Amino acid sequence: MAIIETFGLSRNFGKATAVEDVTLTVEPGEVLGFLGPNGAGKTTTIRMLAGMIAPTRGYGIVAGRRTDRDPEQLHEIVGVLTQMPGLYDRLSARRNLEYFASFYPSIESRSQVEKYLKLMGLWERRDSKVGTFSKGMKQRLALARALVHEPKVLFLDEPTAGLDPEAAGGVRQLIRTLRGEGRTIFLSTHNLSEAEILCNRIAVLRTRLLALDTPEQLRRRFFRRQIVIQLEALDARVTDVVKKLPFVQEMREEGNQLILELTDSERNRPELVKAIVETGGRVIGVSEKQYPLEDVYLRLVREENQNES
Amino acid sequence: MSRRRIRNILLKEWTLLFTDLNSALVITLVPFLIVGQGILYIWLAFTFGGESMLTTQVFETALQKLVQVIPGVAQLPGNEQLLVLLVSQFNLFLLLIPTMIAISVATFSIVDEKLSGSLEALLATPVRTWELLLGKALAGAIPALVMTWISAAIFLLAVSGLGWGDLIRFVVGAGWFLTLFLLTPGVAMLSFMLGVAGSSRAKDPRGAQNTALFIILPVLALIGIQITGIVWFTPALILVLALAVGIADFITLRVAIRLFGRESIVVQWR
Repeated sequence: MAIIETFGLSRNFGKATAVEDVTLTVEPGEVLGFLGPNGAGKTTTIRMLAGMIAPTRGYGIVAGRRTDRDPEQLHEIVGVLTQMPGLYDRLSARRNLEYFASFYPSIESRSQVEKYLKLMGLWERRDSKVGTFSKGMKQRLALARALVHEPKVLFLDEPTAGLDPEAAGGVRQLIRTLRGEGRTIFLSTHNLSEAEILCNRIAVLRTRLLALDTPEQLRRRFFRRQIVIQLEALDARVTDVVKKLPFVQEMREEGNQLILELTDSERNRPELVKAIVETGGRVIGVSEKQYPLEDVYLRLVREENQNES
Repeated sequence: MSRRRIRNILLKEWTLLFTDLNSALVITLVPFLIVGQGILYIWLAFTFGGESMLTTQVFETALQKLVQVIPGVAQLPGNEQLLVLLVSQFNLFLLLIPTMIAISVATFSIVDEKLSGSLEALLATPVRTWELLLGKALAGAIPALVMTWISAAIFLLAVSGLGWGDLIRFVVGAGWFLTLFLLTPGVAMLSFMLGVAGSSRAKDPRGAQNTALFIILPVLALIGIQITGIVWFTPALILVLALAVGIADFITLRVAIRLFGRESIVVQWR
């Protein structure tokens, strides 16, 4: 049973439509990447699902609760990492966490605070004022705050935005750890490679939901599977033989590489390699061409632009 | 749970408030400045203006009203009548303290949280709007009230110290206590709620503090009305005034809660 479900979730601000007719499901333990350009409605969707604002139309259900009813109860089972860390600079890390933890009736705040300060690598600095922390440390503390009450669903709104590569890497590693623990995470991000590394499925939003699938399936939607044969040297005899193979549908050369589309890329691969070797070609490697998720994303957004115009 | 939450909000607010130099100074220094200023004015008026001030039409009318309320004043020599008249204004003058402190605390506490993003994070927790607002209101109202009462005590001690102690019996009566214990809390709450309302649209604490004018000017007007003899605030009138402030508190509380709704903060507060 899905832990997050939305049914035609929509939100208008005056005459402007921020989110329109978003219907999706997220399974328990899944990490869903939420991609989209600025102003696409990602934060608005998170706010609706976290019970911070109400939808104009449609509704959402998170862990069995309607998100537009009794938000305080919903907040006990969801954790939200907002775009700004939103911490009190003049309080210590521990005091910050204890303060937020004190709003949850079901937890023993002292031990939870200790657990998450340790997990985030901030235990040694627990009594330092947050104002002295780096951006990365603040973000880790904000993540600890979102987790301190052991939420069933975690909403992360651009958790690595504005961080230097090292700090961003640290936050990503923490998200990976949380994923390993089987937590359900709804991750809004601009960073496509981050989404690819961390997420089981990816939703692309631009007011409306443009796509929702695994990174691999999204690639397939726009790009056919292509096999890359890396050769020591590429000569005409090899290309002539390969071109004539009945299962080769398309072929192009790139340096010492042959890039091929096959009828059945799994089954035809051994025959292809055999044919090349028999022609005297020296094969260094065989792999599948990986189109970056960015290409998929850009195509989706471009298609949407064309539809709009 | 609510009590625990409100207590935690209160303690957090105080920690932040008293670790911020400006706010700590507003709370601790402003009351003493107001008291000092009041005593100085009275001393100057008594020393340099003297009995002759009572012959002006303004003071004459005010004195007539005062004598109607406290007939014993008529038996005093002229210069002491002037003193009682001046010192009697001080309970209203003290209302400036809760006004300034409560507005300062409200704007500091809300605009600061708004700018740092902590308010949005807070609204993602199960805390209820009224718990948050009450915690913050108490964080402002308690120091405001305590400082007002301390200031009142200091004022009375200073008046005694200046050798006018035997006149205090004409001043400290039902009206004085009603102002301190009924009107002052009402004014503190009203100031706080106006601070919240002002903070909802303000981009910085200074902008929010402009709302202070909406309450400081009426307080000054009260003093002006009384000292010019238009109206003398008898205990009954103070009671009516406190009731009016209570109604205003209720209305502004409703406005503040509406402005302080999760949705408004997340969507409209910029």
